[in-house]
Amino acid sequence: MEVIESSDGGGRHAGAPVGASESSTGTYWRCGSVDGVTAGPTSRLVDVEHGAELRIWHGRLLRGPGYAAAPRLARQVLARLGAVINLRSHARYHVHAAGVAAPDGRAWLLTGETGSGKSTLTYALARQGWPVLGDDGVVLERVAQGIIAHSWREPLQVSIELEAFFPELREHDALVNWRDPRHRVAVSAKFIKRARVAGVIVLERGTNDELSALAPTSALATLVRQSTFVLVTDGHAPSNLATLRDLVESVPCFLLRHTPAQLTSIDATILSAAG
Amino acid sequence: MTRYRITNDALSASLSDGAVLLNLYTKRYFSLNDTASRIWTLLERHASEDEIVDTLVGEYEVELPEAKQAVRRLLDDLLAERLIEPTST
Repeated sequence: MEVIESSDGGGRHAGAPVGASESSTGTYWRCGSVDGVTAGPTSRLVDVEHGAELRIWHGRLLRGPGYAAAPRLARQVLARLGAVINLRSHARYHVHAAGVAAPDGRAWLLTGETGSGKSTLTYALARQGWPVLGDDGVVLERVAQGIIAHSWREPLQVSIELEAFFPELREHDALVNWRDPRHRVAVSAKFIKRARVAGVIVLERGTNDELSALAPTSALATLVRQSTFVLVTDGHAPSNLATLRDLVESVPCFLLRHTPAQLTSIDATILSAAG
Repeated sequence: MTRYRITNDALSASLSDGAVLLNLYTKRYFSLNDTASRIWTLLERHASEDEIVDTLVGEYEVELPEAKQAVRRLLDDLLAERLIEPTST
């Protein structure tokens, strides 16, 4: 009689949300280049590269030391993360997932670890006319009809090394961020503001293309792992978890092991999942 | 008769095929299968260890010694993770 199942075949500990830990003074978290600590209605966010600080106090964003002198991009990142924290008090929760709208107008979320192909497959779909909600994050909200994914609009970025598949990237050679290990470049796409979620696909790179159904518990564990802020002790963790639970219980969830072949067939894969 | 209380650090979500537990303090999460999820539900109802074992024997095709061992193992894990704690009654 096995009472605990595990995705890693042995240990009972399934994991932790990416970048969160607790101390007596609050929840410490990391998102990209920003370190943060949240305790109840107050948060302190620091861009570690530029030493710029933003504080949140009862929903108000307050500029801290180094903020005014920081580059515009760093200020934008801090402000966006501040908004993510504040949205939690409005029952809207950020998750590390791409979102695309199928031809029927409903959203499919593509989630998975960094490097699993979220941005690349999102761009592949955007090239075929699928509107985008985000390639690295969306904001979820429970409504009477189900779960809505709100756009988390950031520039879509794909690796310049995909030129062979996406020839138009050659026009962006001069704009590549070579300090980025993935050598990404910003590309344009049509964005939409929100769409009702139709399904969730967990991405993993593989040696063959295989789409398989994912049990709700496994899907929820994956979404928890991709939700940096789900366990922040601001009083909204129960509602955040309930939103993720309702999502995996209300829409089909899949695991897609994929190869570069999906760059030209991901639309057909999603449409087949949609049934 | 030992009973247990779910700690304030535990957060759970029940699903059709099991449950996911979150530890708000350690920031770790755990996937529970259907059986473990049933045990968690019984813990939420303040069932004692013996009552949990009896319930499992009644609901699942499992012998008493095996059920006792499995329940004890899960309780030990939950205690170690401070997701439950013993109560005096």
